[in-house]
Amino acid sequence: MEGLLQLLFNGLSVGAVYALFALGYTLVFSVLGVINFAHGAIFTMGAYFTYLLIGGAVGANGLLAGLQFPFALPFWLALPLAGIASAAVALVVERIAFRPLRDRGSDPLLALITSLGAGVILVNLIQLLVGAESYSIPVGTLGSLPAALNIAGAKVRTVQVMLLAISGLLLAALSIWINGSRSGKALQAVSEDPITAQLLGINSSRVIQIAFGISGFLAGMAGGLVGLSISIAGPYFGIGYGLKGLGVLVLGGLGSVPGAVLGGLIIGLAEACVPADLSGYKDAVSFGFLFLVLLIRPQGLLGRPQSNKV
Amino acid sequence: MNGPQAPLLELRNLVVRYGSITALHGINLTVQAGELVTLLGANGAGKSTTLRAISSLIHPASGEILWHGGLINRLRTERTVKLGISHCPEGRRVLSRQSVADNLALGAWLRRDKAAIATDLERCYALFPRLAERRSQLAGSLSGGEQQMLAISRSLMARPTLLMLDEPSLGLAPRLVAEVMAALSQLHRDGLTILLVEQNAQAALTIADRGLVLEAGSISAGGSAEQLLADDSLQASYLGAN
Repeated sequence: MEGLLQLLFNGLSVGAVYALFALGYTLVFSVLGVINFAHGAIFTMGAYFTYLLIGGAVGANGLLAGLQFPFALPFWLALPLAGIASAAVALVVERIAFRPLRDRGSDPLLALITSLGAGVILVNLIQLLVGAESYSIPVGTLGSLPAALNIAGAKVRTVQVMLLAISGLLLAALSIWINGSRSGKALQAVSEDPITAQLLGINSSRVIQIAFGISGFLAGMAGGLVGLSISIAGPYFGIGYGLKGLGVLVLGGLGSVPGAVLGGLIIGLAEACVPADLSGYKDAVSFGFLFLVLLIRPQGLLGRPQSNKV
Repeated sequence: MNGPQAPLLELRNLVVRYGSITALHGINLTVQAGELVTLLGANGAGKSTTLRAISSLIHPASGEILWHGGLINRLRTERTVKLGISHCPEGRRVLSRQSVADNLALGAWLRRDKAAIATDLERCYALFPRLAERRSQLAGSLSGGEQQMLAISRSLMARPTLLMLDEPSLGLAPRLVAEVMAALSQLHRDGLTILLVEQNAQAALTIADRGLVLEAGSISAGGSAEQLLADDSLQASYLGAN
């Protein structure tokens, strides 16, 4: 029973991060109909931003060797600030890799290539600046909180509880924003029919920027949380998450917000069920699962059949 | 340039191209404040293109679009809405995954005057009582006629100076066509300026002050609604009378 509870927590906390990550993809996909391939790199940047803001020092490689901010913020402050910095990066990516194509009326699919390019540049920039070594966020970051909590007899790492709680909060805030606010409804309008949205006076460029900003914020927060719970394995560590996020996105149904959440939780749980000595097969399990689902439901779990997307 | 006698909307030698295809060959058109002008013609004559050019969904290759005498050729679409031009597109295009009330609220996107928005909302519900009954229903679940009513109401929520409608009768049963036309006529009597694109010439001319006939991207005829209705050859050749 304890084992099961522990497994559930492991799965849900990993899955919640996948969900956050996939939601960033979903937001941009829903307004533009394309995947932002730089999303994984923005996630990575979020992890590094968090590390620097809590007072971490840059290692010996890279142009910024030895750099350390003169202040060390508490984690609860550093994380949202890292999210905001990541949102800024996402806006730059939009400006450079997406908007010029849109202004020219190019095929939207070209943005797949330009965003992939932007992602490669970001990852290399990280390597250039702070080196390729791994960084880990120090244990004392959470202050006086214990390293593990006892929940109904199961020992659960505090970090995982935090991961789950923060992700849950963000997911709830996002869905309230999309369904309950004026700008959220404008986002839905642009997503369903960009021409009609313009005819209603909605500035679609602004809505697209908002989508990128929020998407970057979510990616940065997810990066910081993963950095805290595992470690920052190097500039490329977002790529694995990027692929996993795509899997989650497709599993849940492209463009569906609840689908991204459900997909994330399912993949997280599926991976948690892989025994520790077979952990090398985690990806095989999650992508195998994705494969099976797509055989039965090509549009994903909560996706609409393709014909609905004009 | 904003002379008091400048018409509300004027198109001068408007040329619009889609790639190598010329859709409008230099058309001239004037709409005075308070008029209901209808633009008639067959499929592909360039009626929708004219409206799309006015609301900047497509930019003209040459010619001028004047609003109160001022050039508005190359605005962004949302700027034309701000100027007071509301374009109700062909095929209704309601936001199917949002409720009737949300669709209407988005129609007032650029407005901040909450009290007046509430008044206009009630006016729309009075104009089309069926929308009031279905206000919390998803727009995608409405019938074609109801969706058209919603699309018109949504355009009205911007409180436009000029309402442009693209084939509001398309695909509607005759009884609903009559209902929609009656509502437009009511709006016109209340002082709204309307530019109505229609294939259903009979229905449009019954409520219009003036009509223009577009044929293959050029204006081939024009006159008062009575003249056009009385012109048998026109009826036979362009207006698809039946």
